[in-house]
Amino acid sequence: MSGTYDVVIIGGGMSGMMAAIALADMGRKIAVVSKGDPVCCLSTGCIDLLATDGDPLKGVGSLPDNHPYHLVGEDAIRESLEMFRDIMSEGGMPYVGDARVNRRILTPLGRRKVTCLVPGTMEFADFHSDEYIHVISFKKMKDFYPDYITSRYKNAGYSIFDAGIATTAGIAEQFENRKFLEGFISWLKGLDIPEGRIAIPAVLGMRFAGDVCNEISAKLGRNVFEIPTLPPSVPGLRLFGGLKKALLKRGGDLYWGREIYSVEKLGNQIEAVTLAGAGRSARVQGNAFILATGSFVSGGLHTSMDAVEETVFDLPAYLPGGRESWFNDDFFAPGHAIEKSGICVDPFFRPVDPQFENLFVCGSILAFSEIMKYRCGHGMAIATGVAAAKACGRPA
Amino acid sequence: MIKTDVIIIGGGSTGCGIARDLALRGIPHCLIEKGDFAAGATGACHGLLHSGGRYAVNDPEAATECISENMILRKIGVKCVEQTGGLFVRLPGDSKRFRDMFLKSCEEVGIPTEVLSPSRALDLVPSLNPSLEEAVKVPDCSIDPFRLCMLNITSSRKRGGEILTHNRVIDIIMEHGRCVGVRAQEESTAEVREIRGKIIINATGAWGDKVASLAGSSVPMTLSKGSLIITNHRLTNMVINRLRPSSDGDIIVPNEAVCLAGTTSMTVSDPDEAGVEPGEVDIIATQAQQMIPDFRTTRLIRVYAGVRPLLEADDGDDRAISRGFRIIDHKNGMFSILGGKLSTYRLMAEKMSDSVMEVFGLKTKCRTAELPLEGQEELRGYPISNRLKTLENIVCECELVTADDVERVAREIGARHIGDIQHRTRLGMGPCQGGFCTYRALGIMQEMGRMTPEESMRILREFLQRRFKGIKPALWGDQLREEQLVEGIYLGILDMEQEP
Repeated sequence: MSGTYDVVIIGGGMSGMMAAIALADMGRKIAVVSKGDPVCCLSTGCIDLLATDGDPLKGVGSLPDNHPYHLVGEDAIRESLEMFRDIMSEGGMPYVGDARVNRRILTPLGRRKVTCLVPGTMEFADFHSDEYIHVISFKKMKDFYPDYITSRYKNAGYSIFDAGIATTAGIAEQFENRKFLEGFISWLKGLDIPEGRIAIPAVLGMRFAGDVCNEISAKLGRNVFEIPTLPPSVPGLRLFGGLKKALLKRGGDLYWGREIYSVEKLGNQIEAVTLAGAGRSARVQGNAFILATGSFVSGGLHTSMDAVEETVFDLPAYLPGGRESWFNDDFFAPGHAIEKSGICVDPFFRPVDPQFENLFVCGSILAFSEIMKYRCGHGMAIATGVAAAKACGRPA
Repeated sequence: MIKTDVIIIGGGSTGCGIARDLALRGIPHCLIEKGDFAAGATGACHGLLHSGGRYAVNDPEAATECISENMILRKIGVKCVEQTGGLFVRLPGDSKRFRDMFLKSCEEVGIPTEVLSPSRALDLVPSLNPSLEEAVKVPDCSIDPFRLCMLNITSSRKRGGEILTHNRVIDIIMEHGRCVGVRAQEESTAEVREIRGKIIINATGAWGDKVASLAGSSVPMTLSKGSLIITNHRLTNMVINRLRPSSDGDIIVPNEAVCLAGTTSMTVSDPDEAGVEPGEVDIIATQAQQMIPDFRTTRLIRVYAGVRPLLEADDGDDRAISRGFRIIDHKNGMFSILGGKLSTYRLMAEKMSDSVMEVFGLKTKCRTAELPLEGQEELRGYPISNRLKTLENIVCECELVTADDVERVAREIGARHIGDIQHRTRLGMGPCQGGFCTYRALGIMQEMGRMTPEESMRILREFLQRRFKGIKPALWGDQLREEQLVEGIYLGILDMEQEP
């Protein structure tokens, strides 16, 4: 398979998919090239915008001047989150929340993590600490120990259900089976759980989790919510599935599981990329390219002992000093300096140096995004993804 | 109060070796260790059972001890010694004269050698630098220090030896100028126990002077820090040495699923303050790349430092100091044993126990060289096929440790420390360095009632800090990717906090 497109997006994570969907909505013919399932599959599925006490959008104003959020601007950030919500609703996986209000979700350690938009199954996760919480766990589940949650709250208890399987994805599959769900609900009813909320690890099905969650809620007469688990994370997989569905519906092409092994350049233009594949390679040509390959964990950036490289176009990347200055001594201290590294862009999301006229960059590969420090990962990906799409799609 | 004949302080290879030796000679004893076994230099070394080749030119006495102990240990410790063989590799520019001296010295002390052409050396170890001039094959082995300690302790326990780990000696009891016992404090309960004995043996390695000072004595020694790097897989199946005078970063040892590369040598003043500096990592990585070029792109999963307790030097150069050992009779009922190395631990234990027998006027001979280490039949051994047979509920995917393994060890030894589980099961010793499984093991121990959820969180927090400290100096490339994932899990998904 080879092809010619208006825009080729490299990287199938949050920012790449959002850019692709935005461009498809603008009537562009697009393709997404990805070497595999993205890091968002490992995430909580929630959209962290910015961890602040108050209005996260307002908080954007006090970020350092070089933070990529400033290239987008408050209004456009809000609009891009609205666009994301519409896309997920259209796919039957509604998100709740508002870009002006942070909310909290419960983590497997019993912490109440700050985030912004959450899947419908976590709508009731922002509880009052005096309320009774009943945690459900599953027998032999490896990464979930309910005592960690209940020991932090005065009013909490837990019960363990034997699903016959212990993996998160395995249990999620079970929940799509009517009989299993009914068995689970009648077991829950038999527990005689006190008045309060019910918290369940995020395994309530892959495709119809919202319906499953609502049904349990209705039958029990309690608010039910999910707790995101460690990878493989079911809400992360659902999120990615929703974006992929939206893209395919809009006629976008996906080149999946393909690595780029050569880039064709002509003057200050990128012409095409060639992809490795089983048995045959593919040439993907584009009028414009968007680089959304993420930071270190997803492989967009790679370090050697003393340098950093951008792995597709070999763009110069910002590196904050020598190796001894890359990390804090404290694991828990937010923001290692190395997180600042990435690609510096102009107001139109084009790399500052060297100037390719038709290359745009978005997502966590952007320099100074520091997503762990500011807890702004998916929010930044959505906002810069949509903004880069607009910059790329604007009339010349 | 515990009453015994001999009190051994220190659960490294020397202390554990003495416990076994005394047990086989029928002498009641009690071993006290402040942490877990092999917590000092024993566990923080290369895990190399020297052929003696490394010392042949400069320290023939140490070389002679090494080759003779090497032959003994490979016989008595089949399950903790891997007979890898070793190569001394001569690279372009390395002195040919040293090579001639090396071969001659090896012959003099009885170390069998075989000179290999580059192509034969590359047949044996394909990852070697292809531009090597030649290699010399020697009988080096890889040894598992923790397992070695455990097996020595098995003999002691079987014969009534008292073994107290996680007990720190806080006081040596003196009566009429003689040492008659110690007071030891348990790490988690802070309970203090008194142990009375006729002889005290100070086998605390780098901590020797600190312990001797409790009895008003001192031990002259030089503390030499050596740093090492762990790779995420075996780059070689043989021990690789550089054929040149001893220098930094000239040895790579395969050990279980990984390789250990090092070391450096820096004089330090406090064994508790020894950390790895980024400069040392650069030196080791650069040197290791010269012998095995793939080292450059290999994921380095951890760095650590151990402190060698060397006999006091007259001048500055640590490497010139003999790696031999010495027994000091403080003439007050306490002996200190210092110097030496892992490879000669058994010989050191034999000589120390001989001194004890002399004091007691007993004549029973040492038998540790003839009898195989006890308890080896219970070891599962490394072959992965053995482990795959029992795989259910794996909590540590890197080292294939199951939930049952964790529960069993926690129950058997009453473990309250994550290190106890890690040492006995290899949990967290693989490529992810406990990034995923420590959380699970703590969850299991907490569900078993071994610790409260709060304690378990505190241990996890400390573990993550310690882990990061060990990873940070060599953090780049693919290891940085892994680290971002681990950070994303603990700080992102779990939202773990710095303070409770």
